[in-house]
Amino acid sequence: MVKSICYTVAAILICIGLFIFADWYLGNQFDEFSAALDSLYTKIENETATREDGYAVRTLWEDKKSKLHILVPHNDISYIDYWLSEACGLLYNEKYDLALGKIEVLREISKNLPDSYSIKFENIF
Amino acid sequence: MALIFIRTAIIFITLLFVMRLMGKSQIGEMQPFEFVISLVIAELACIPMADTSIPILYGIIAILTIFILHQIVWLFQLWFKPVKNVVSGKPSVVINKNGIDEFQLKKNNLDVSDLIESMRVAGYFNLDDVYYGLYEANGSFSALAKEETASTSLPLILIDRGTPDQKNLTRCGFNDERLNKLLKEQNAKLKEVVVMTVNAEGRAYFQKRGEKYKILQVEVNGEW
Repeated sequence: MVKSICYTVAAILICIGLFIFADWYLGNQFDEFSAALDSLYTKIENETATREDGYAVRTLWEDKKSKLHILVPHNDISYIDYWLSEACGLLYNEKYDLALGKIEVLREISKNLPDSYSIKFENIF
Repeated sequence: MALIFIRTAIIFITLLFVMRLMGKSQIGEMQPFEFVISLVIAELACIPMADTSIPILYGIIAILTIFILHQIVWLFQLWFKPVKNVVSGKPSVVINKNGIDEFQLKKNNLDVSDLIESMRVAGYFNLDDVYYGLYEANGSFSALAKEETASTSLPLILIDRGTPDQKNLTRCGFNDERLNKLLKEQNAKLKEVVVMTVNAEGRAYFQKRGEKYKILQVEVNGEW
């Protein structure tokens, strides 16, 4: 009986710990990624962005995504991969106006994605 | 992550509620909440295994949630008796000294033929072979048997909750006229009969709604 209660309490604590960690970690990772995207967006707006800037954001994302796979469904990560690759391709060709649209989409995704895993009425149902 | 926990808990509670509503006919040898767990856990384990787009942690969290809910339900059942009645249900006495309790049968979504089948599985072939018959909370059938059994032949159901079984009636050599005559003798309308069975020796179990059962002797052709 005592053993069972201990196991239950341990399981509850593990879950709560994991929930807090996941919430904090996702928020933190996507905040950093959003900041990088904001900086890239400003550079594209000023038409000073180079393909290296695009690749730097991609490298940052590649580093983050290897860990995010544990917490985020892989399809959601694929969306970011797709939009980021498109943006990098356009930057390579110096098509700033088109690249701006792609980065805008990425900014929206990285802003909204952590919210879609938080405890909200619309997410539960 | 917490989202998975809440969603799993909602599904668990909904399934448990539905299983309790379905009555004892849908579960066998398990408490309703155990049945729900076995139903859910297989899927929870399979989906992250088969679908590579879902992180395996989602499956682990969901299974952990089921474990926590199981432990909570179990502890509540131990500490608070009313919770056990709500979650697992109570045994239902479907046969008492007056015969079949139709209300209890309906409450558990069972009919007379289900009861007779359960009795046969338990080794009783006549409705009056037992003093008491009950469905346990886990859906299994238990009975307090009479010392002597009523007959050596298999009884047939002639009327099941007001509906005559024409095939069995013909087999016994009953026609509408004979059946109506018998019902008139018993001062009962067809719709009022809970059950009527008869064996090859002509020993009939007859129960009118709201009354104690009667054992009648009727003439049958006895060819079964």
